[in-house]
Parts: sequence; structure tokens; C-alpha cells
Amino acid sequence: MTRVNLLLALAVLGSAIYLVGVQYESRRLFTELEQVQREARRLNTELERLQVDKRSQATPARIERVAQEKLQMRQVTPGITMYISASDTAQAKP
Amino acid sequence: MSRSIQYTASPLLTSRTPVWRSKFVVGAIALGFVGLGARAAYIQVVHNDFFQRQGEVRYSRTLGLPANRGRILDRNGLILASSVPATSIFAIPEDANLDNAEQAKLAKLLDMPQADLAKKLAEDDKGFVWLKRQMDPEAAKKITDLKLKGIDQRTEYRRVYPEGEAAAHVVGFTNVEDKGQEGVELLFNSTLLGRAGSRHVIKDRLGRAVEEVGESVAPEAGQDVQLSIDTKVQFFAYQKLRDAVLANRAQAGSIVVLDANSGEVLALANYPSYNPEKRVNLSGAQLRNRALTDTFEPGSVMKPFTIGLALNTGRVKTSTIIDTAPGSMMVTGATIRDSHPHGALTVEQVIQLSSNVGTTKIAMQMPASEMWETFSSAGFGQKPQIEFPGAVPGRLRPAKSWRPIEQATASYGYGLSASLFQMVRSYTVFSHDGQVIRATLLKNSEPAVGVPVFSPETAAKVRKMLQMAAGPGGTGPKAQTAGYSVGGKSGTAYKQVGKGYGSDGNRKYRSWFVGMAPIDHPRIIVGVMLDEPTAGKYFGGEVAAPVFSEAVQQTLRVMGVQPDISIQPQIVANAVQESF
Repeated sequence: MTRVNLLLALAVLGSAIYLVGVQYESRRLFTELEQVQREARRLNTELERLQVDKRSQATPARIERVAQEKLQMRQVTPGITMYISASDTAQAKP
Repeated sequence: MSRSIQYTASPLLTSRTPVWRSKFVVGAIALGFVGLGARAAYIQVVHNDFFQRQGEVRYSRTLGLPANRGRILDRNGLILASSVPATSIFAIPEDANLDNAEQAKLAKLLDMPQADLAKKLAEDDKGFVWLKRQMDPEAAKKITDLKLKGIDQRTEYRRVYPEGEAAAHVVGFTNVEDKGQEGVELLFNSTLLGRAGSRHVIKDRLGRAVEEVGESVAPEAGQDVQLSIDTKVQFFAYQKLRDAVLANRAQAGSIVVLDANSGEVLALANYPSYNPEKRVNLSGAQLRNRALTDTFEPGSVMKPFTIGLALNTGRVKTSTIIDTAPGSMMVTGATIRDSHPHGALTVEQVIQLSSNVGTTKIAMQMPASEMWETFSSAGFGQKPQIEFPGAVPGRLRPAKSWRPIEQATASYGYGLSASLFQMVRSYTVFSHDGQVIRATLLKNSEPAVGVPVFSPETAAKVRKMLQMAAGPGGTGPKAQTAGYSVGGKSGTAYKQVGKGYGSDGNRKYRSWFVGMAPIDHPRIIVGVMLDEPTAGKYFGGEVAAPVFSEAVQQTLRVMGVQPDISIQPQIVANAVQESF
């Protein structure tokens, strides 16, 4: 009887220690998850910021200024545009 | 058996203690334990919430999960407004005891005078004071690096508007608390806002969250709003308008570009405008969304409606001759005048030459109620057809109260008022086969369903007249643009100066042009208005029509519409081959 009791006591002790271990592990993993999620959020906002940056570098106002000043381009007018319709190109193909 | 307890064998020390005393002690101790047990049970089982709470306060935290405000996009998905992180610096004045050198350094990084900073830090009775909201994160980091006691920071979100002033009046802006204040930001505030979430966590000694407890509320990010605005069209429209306002030394101007098939607003701009990111020293003139809020008498722009009604009801034909000689007429004692006497005109020419007398003669054949019906179904005097902060209905008095002279003046656009936006929208009657369609600021792929006002034939006839009016011999030939057929009406009005309309040489004008292109199958309707041009020219056909022309040209090109009239090609086909 005493032996069984001892065995059970040991089992209880063992499972208690295991529980502590599991709890510790779960908290560690949770912290890790938390960190990764924070990183994900940070990258998300970074993406947002970069998208906005990219967009503000490509506003029509800036494109026009650069095209005119740096590249000496001018605005297209219908006079210098050749219009081709879809049927024309189909006929042009041999 | 003696009735006492023997503590020792020595008879000298025998004392006679009665048994009840030891029993009493045992009993008292037992009672003490029972008391403790009861108390423990009370604390742990019955009345445990106080201690539970105290415990939780020490290890658990509620974390707010901020919801991102949605973005505002143009019809092609380009960003018009978005949120980016920004850092706000605050101080706890009680803790912040900075010496002079530290204050100077901090003031410099905050970009504010040191005296102002000292004043803020001196507010000892306040536990918390913002030093600067929404700084650039990099600049804020320099402040953190100073490691000043009592100075801390918090991450917030700042709105950025890549299009800046070109789209300011449409997009609007938010305040520092992320609440919409103007434009679409205000109109769709609840959609954009989202809902912040929260969660409960247990934190360890190092402040890391180690476990989630209870239920967490996930944040709901704000939804994106996609507008019908086309950034390129918007920019060109704003640019051309700005150039025209400056060239004509005008007070202000507005432009509206509407898709004639779907009723979508492709561009809506006003000048003067403002940069929604730097809103210091904003004046009311800059903030005003004139295209929607300023009403004026539409003048000649109304004539096509009067003539359209007469054509639609079969009272006149396009070739009916109207005698407008001698260029003036009397209606119940008041004189109606043309700017030049024209003599006998066809109905078409009445529009082309913009004859007030001709229009009045046609209008007087019709009952006032029919005219009122037509005008109001085209949107005049009605609740604004677009939901937008500050949009106004304009004014159209009920037909019952019209005296003959009022019916006469209403026929050529006086005695009623409308915003530029309403005028542009009302012209969908002519562009959309006689149906007036809903205008919208949101992208909309479905074809608009209209409310019929005129028959498709009448609309086509009026379009032809509008084309004549914008052609050689009309009132707005400057509206012509290379490659595309256009049609439209110009308007010019005296503005009130003091109690009258000013005297010659001291008059103030408002000039506008509303038209469409390509005229056979209109794709866009454009309205341009300039307020008080003072550089000599002031007729709508002189100052507003050129802006219309350029806006039409650029917009149709961006939309990929093929020119419908032949153009002199300037392409050099057989250029000299470059030798390599």
C-alpha cells in the first residue's frame, strides 16, 4: 500500500514539474509569437509608408516637372499622335 | 484521581491547576483556528474579487489595438490619402526638470521657441502636456536619444495626401485626432474609421506579454474608399484652372469634370487651394469648395433647357424663325436686351448667338409650371444630387410665384441660382439622351440609370446647337480643341458691388463655361468658372472657354478616346534616318 502511495506521489510530483515546464514553454512561445506579430505590424506600416512614398514620387505634378525640365519632353497633342484602331492592327498582320 | 494536572514529580512544585483551564486554552486555540479558517474561506471563496483585482492590477494589462484608418483611392487605385506612423512627444511637467541647455536642445529639435517650451513645462498642475504631435519618426528618435526625464513619446498615425493641393477640396483632411474634418474624409469618416480592438495579457517582470487571458476584441481596420476621381484628370484640371486664374488675375476659380455616361466625377478642383498636410494660416477662401458651395445665376447656361422644352413639346422646330429685332423687348414694363441686335434668327441661332430676346419669346409661349418642372427635374433648386459637406441646393422659386418678367428672366438663367456642379450635372440631360443622371464621387462601373427630361431626339438637337455655340460664329469658339468636337454654353454675369452691379469701369464679373465632348456621343461634361477676372478679358467665352478646351483635350486623351474630327497631322513621317 505504501509503495503504491509513494508511486502515486512521485507521479503527481512528476506531472507537476512537467506542467511547470509546459507552462514555461507556452509562455516563451507566446512571447516569441508576440514579437513576430509586432514585427509583422511594423513591416506592414513600413509597407504602407513606402507605398505612400512611392506614390508621392509619382504624382502627375512631379512627373510633369521632371519630364519637362530634365528630359525636355513636351505634352502630346492629337496632331502628333497616330491613332490606330484594333481592326487596323488585325488587318496589318499577314 | 485528583482533579488537577500534575506538571512535575516534585511535590514542592505541585500546584493545583484545575483541568478546565487547560481545556479552555485548547478550546481558545481551536476557536482561533476556526476563525482563521473562516476568514481564509471568506477571502478565497466568498469575497475574493477585491484581491483578485489587486493581483491582476499587478500582472495583467489591457492593450489597445489601434485600427488603421482606411485609405482613400482614386479610380485606378492610386492613393489619395493614407495613414503613416508618426511620433508625438509629450511631457510630464512634474518630472521634467530640465536645465537651460537641455531645454535649448529640446526646443531646437522640436522646432519651437524655447520660451514656448519653458511655458509648457512650467504647467506643473497638469500631469500631462503634448509638446508636439505627429512628428517625423526620425526627428522624434533624436529626442528620445537625449534621454530626458519626464519627456516621452507615443506612436500615432498621421494622414498623408500625395496629391496635395490638386485634390485638397475633394479629399479633405482629418484633424490630429484622426477625425475627418472636410471633404471625403468627413463624408466617409465612419467607413474609414474602423474600430479599435483590445486584449488582456499577463506581463512578466520584463514587461513581455506571456499569456493572453479573457476574450480579446480584434481591431476592425477602416475600409478603403475608392473615389471616381482620376488623379491625372484631376491634376490637369487643377493645373489649367490655376494657370487661368493667375493669367486672368481672377479671385478664384472652379472646374468640374463629369463622366457623361456614368455620372462619375472625374475631377473637381478649386483655386485657391491648400496643402492638406500643412494647414497653418488657412483662410476661408482657400478652404471653400466653390464648385459645390458658391451659387450664382446660371445665365446663358439655362437657355438650352428653355429651348429644349420648347422643342420637346413641339412648340418650335430647330428651323422656326424668331424675330429678335430690334434687339430688345418689353415684358410688363421691363426691358430685355441682347448684347447685339440680331434680327430674325432660327431657333438654332438663338442658342448659337445667345439671344435673350429670342429665348424670352420662345419661353413666353409656355406655361411657367412646365418650365419650373423642367428646371427642377434637371436638378435646379433641388437637394444637392451629391452627398458632400457644404453642397448647396441653389434657388429656384416655385412657378406659382413667377410674374411674367420672372418667367422671362428665368428662361435665360436669371432669378435662379445654382452651383457650378449643379450646372455640370444638369447637362447630363443633353449628353445622356435626354435623361438626367445621378452624379457620384464613388467609382461605379454600372451604367447610370437616368430620369427622362427630354426625348433623345431633342437632346441630340440641343447638342447640335451647343456645338454651334462653341463653334465659329458662336459665343465660345475658344472652347474648340484639336481633334475633338465640342459643344457648350458660356456665361458672364455682373457681380454685385455694394448696392448695385457697379458702373462701367468698376464692374466685377463672374465668367463660366459648361460644355461636353465629343459632341455626337459625349464622354465628358466639363464646367469652368472664374470669379472676378481683372486682366481685361471677362467674357465666359474668352476666359473660361480656353480652360474648358485644354481640360477636354487632356481628359479625352487620358481616357483613350479617339479624336472624332480630322486633324492636320504634324508627324514627320519620312524624317531623315539617323546613320549609325
